[in-house]
Amino acid sequence: MSSMLSIGISGINAAQVALATVSNNIANASTAGYSDESVNQVQALTQSNGQLTIGNGVNVVGVQRAYSQYLTSAVWSTNSGMQGATTMNGLTSTLNSLLSNSGNLQTSLDSFYSGFSTVASSPSSSSNREAALGAASSLASVYNTLGQQLTQQSTAVNGQIGDTVTSINSLASQIATLNGQIGENSSSNAPNSLLDERDSLVQQLSGLTGMSAVSESNGSISVYTSSGQALVSGAQSYALSTGGNQYDPTSTDVFDSAGNDITSQLTGGTLGALISYRSSVLQPAQNQLGQSAIALASSVNGQQAQGLDLNGKQGQPIFSVGSPAVLPSSNNSTGGATVTASISNVSQLTTSNYILSYTGTGTGTNGWSLSTTGGQSVSLTANPDGSLSGDGLTFAVSGTAQKGDSYEIEPTSNAATSLSVSMTNPDGIAAAAALTATAASGNTGTGVVGSVGVTDATNANLLSGASVKFGAAGAYTITDGNGNTTTGTYTAGQPITADGWSLTLTGTPASGDSFNVAVNTNGLNDGSNATSLAGLADVGVLDGGKTTVVDSYANLTTQIGTAGSQAASDLTTQTNLYNQAEGAQQSVSGVNLNQEAANLVQYQQAYQASAQVISTAQQLFTSLITAIQDGS
Amino acid sequence: MRISTSWTYQQSLNTMLSQEAELSNTQNQVSTGNAINVASDNPTGASQIVGLSHILAENTEYTNNMGSANTRLSTETSTLTSVSNLLDSVNDLALGSINGSMSSTDMSNMATQLTQMRNQLVQLANTSDANGMALFAGTSTTTTPFVQNASGSVSYAGNNQQAYTTIGEGLQVANTDSGSSVFMNIPAGNGSFVASAPASNTGTLVVGTNSVTDTNAWSAANAAGPVNDTITFGAGGTYAVTDSAGNPVDDASGNPITGTYQDGDSISFNGVSVTMSGTPAAGDTVNVQADTGSNNQDVFTTLNNMITALQSGSSSTAFDNTMNRQLEALNQAMGSVNNTQVAVGSRIDTVQAQQSSDADLSLTYKSALSDVQNVDMATAISNLSLQSTALQASQQVFAKVQGLTLFSYLQS
Repeated sequence: MSSMLSIGISGINAAQVALATVSNNIANASTAGYSDESVNQVQALTQSNGQLTIGNGVNVVGVQRAYSQYLTSAVWSTNSGMQGATTMNGLTSTLNSLLSNSGNLQTSLDSFYSGFSTVASSPSSSSNREAALGAASSLASVYNTLGQQLTQQSTAVNGQIGDTVTSINSLASQIATLNGQIGENSSSNAPNSLLDERDSLVQQLSGLTGMSAVSESNGSISVYTSSGQALVSGAQSYALSTGGNQYDPTSTDVFDSAGNDITSQLTGGTLGALISYRSSVLQPAQNQLGQSAIALASSVNGQQAQGLDLNGKQGQPIFSVGSPAVLPSSNNSTGGATVTASISNVSQLTTSNYILSYTGTGTGTNGWSLSTTGGQSVSLTANPDGSLSGDGLTFAVSGTAQKGDSYEIEPTSNAATSLSVSMTNPDGIAAAAALTATAASGNTGTGVVGSVGVTDATNANLLSGASVKFGAAGAYTITDGNGNTTTGTYTAGQPITADGWSLTLTGTPASGDSFNVAVNTNGLNDGSNATSLAGLADVGVLDGGKTTVVDSYANLTTQIGTAGSQAASDLTTQTNLYNQAEGAQQSVSGVNLNQEAANLVQYQQAYQASAQVISTAQQLFTSLITAIQDGS
Repeated sequence: MRISTSWTYQQSLNTMLSQEAELSNTQNQVSTGNAINVASDNPTGASQIVGLSHILAENTEYTNNMGSANTRLSTETSTLTSVSNLLDSVNDLALGSINGSMSSTDMSNMATQLTQMRNQLVQLANTSDANGMALFAGTSTTTTPFVQNASGSVSYAGNNQQAYTTIGEGLQVANTDSGSSVFMNIPAGNGSFVASAPASNTGTLVVGTNSVTDTNAWSAANAAGPVNDTITFGAGGTYAVTDSAGNPVDDASGNPITGTYQDGDSISFNGVSVTMSGTPAAGDTVNVQADTGSNNQDVFTTLNNMITALQSGSSSTAFDNTMNRQLEALNQAMGSVNNTQVAVGSRIDTVQAQQSSDADLSLTYKSALSDVQNVDMATAISNLSLQSTALQASQQVFAKVQGLTLFSYLQS
């Protein structure tokens, strides 16, 4: 009788625990990170009365959470991927909107070039010149706006890197604390809620950075970054820190607890996406835009110098653009060398940033070597004046460098923001050709002036005027206005060159014939140089003369667009992977309400049945008492 | 497989959210009409749009250039027509002044008339285009390339260059003609040579029409240097031809050219033929000088010479000779104007041909641009309805599924 009662009570107790667990499952059905729990019942130890072994009821030995280490790890790693893709997609779509909303560069470029075409049609009209210079200003401001938007995004990304590292550190220390609490409790029943909370924190951490988690035998979880540094080990957490890049203090780098720069090794999660976006999307876009600004300024200013403005003076630059940034490493020796960089050949200019480092005498070129920030080595050539050239850049070094000193060179990154119109007077637009050539009136040969053009606008004697006097058998002597003489022999079809100009003749000049090259001051209503300026729209400036400024913008569009569409499709992929992993994990750990309903019914009935057992025991007891009383 | 209830809800929600996003994207495409709103929608297409828009912008630029070139060339052609008409009137007037017995009053009136015509010619030569730029100044900025001096002579202040307008990729057309080529550098005499009788002649010999009849012989004669020969008349119309050094000029057979001239005869040598009328006195000469470029006579000088001759007020052999020479010069000037007219006409034709091909090209590029840039409405709208149907279906399924719980059947 007593065993029946105790069995009944054990059943009631077990059913109560089970009902409480089911209630808790139902209550937490939509709690993030909650794992479905179930009651672990075992048969109570049986007692033998010598002949028979009768069960002794039920014991509840534990409440277990439904958990798969493998599936949970898969959720963590796919979460890194998905959060990274989400961040990347957010940043690239912002960039794409910036590009389409910050004014259309192509339209501005075309109005700028066609402004010169209008000037060419009526070179002395001041309103046309005003309009052309106005178009130059609006073009510069479109470059500025785009450049500033990119700079702002860069600042924002650097800020986010700092914030993300702060969050990572806070999560790591919470995980370490939980590791400690779980360790204390592990002797007793498994603390399901603590485990769930820790898993949830690890999942949040996995969204911030790529990481790997290892379960230790003592129940704690160790967390390592994608670069292998421990973030959490047992109850101890190791904080990451942020600081300025050794070259560029405005660029935020991430350091491990030992102070090593691990920025380039971090992948995955929000942090990995921010770092990768900064180096593989934003910086190239800034450089590409800057390269286009430099190409514009250099081609326009170069053509300006080949013409005469409305005052008959050689054309002055329309645009000014900042020179390449040289950023010495913070690790450089004190009092070392000073490096300045300039662009010597725009057609060779790339969108790379470079590291110029001093490797000591006897190595490299004059002790210096150059590589892209991507690590690709670039050949340097030494110039007679001691400067070094490579990839269209020229470096001048003053002072003495120490071995190991290095400098980051950013040729194009700031060009778009620094582009400005330096010309203030519209009369300065060099619409007219610089030179005019005429045959002397007494010439007896058939030689006729074909054309005269400028080949080197920097030649000091370019505008000094010159006469070309022919002798016998095509021999000629050129005497320029400054008294310099050049001699040569004329070959039909070949230009005659001197002082930075080039004269093309047709026909055959006779001995004694002469031709004069003079400044075109009497022909300022000529628009031929303005026509050439307008024609720059289709003149290749970059990549060895293959890429026009408009092409360069089209390339930028493709580059940014591709980054955006890749990020979008990557997000879809990563989200699907995450959903798959999360679905699989949830199919094990999630709460199914139908299941809980069934369990509820089941345990309710178990409770009722156990209660019935007690009631039966009581009735049996009563009938026994009654029988005794009746029999007495 | 066991399904987590909250995950089921989450999944249905995710599905509906992504369907909504697609729907909103399609809606955006339909309302803007653009298939590409940001570069990431279609990176290749976005770069094509840049390229095509650039070509279209250039075409617009060419169209504008052609418009202004056309205006300028039309102004030039109508100005040249006026010049041509004016020179015709001068020609008529000058023709009327010879071979007639004009009173000195008539001549003086004619001189006045011609002076007015000369002034008008200067005015026409200084015509400006719509932008106030002189048509015939070359590339000089001067607005009055033809400056009339107090004496009536006209000097040219422009230059000899031509300005060009770009009307297509690598295609340029001159939009001006320099004043020097139209009005100033007029070949002398008949274009090849001048046959003139000096005013010192005492006979009644008047040099009439003259021309090159044998170009080979004429070139041969000029090979050693420009021809500068003199026909010298003796008594009874006999004549001999000497060169500038005084040596006799030989015919093809190597004999000195001599002969006897009679009224109305023409004298031929060195491939030229000079017709004369009247009777020369002994010692009279006729000079035959090749056009060297340096003996060019501008049209204003021609008119001035006529005016001076008319102002002298007497019909005479010298007057007739002068007027004949000036008429020759006038004909050359008219020829120069007509040649320019023809050249301008052909440029206008080039511009118009280019305008029509430019319009065709623009149309082609516009349609290519629209293919890339514009959304295909039929597709977009059918997508829109498809996506909204799909969303509705998802919503209905969600509503159905969320009612399917065991609890709803357990309620007592």
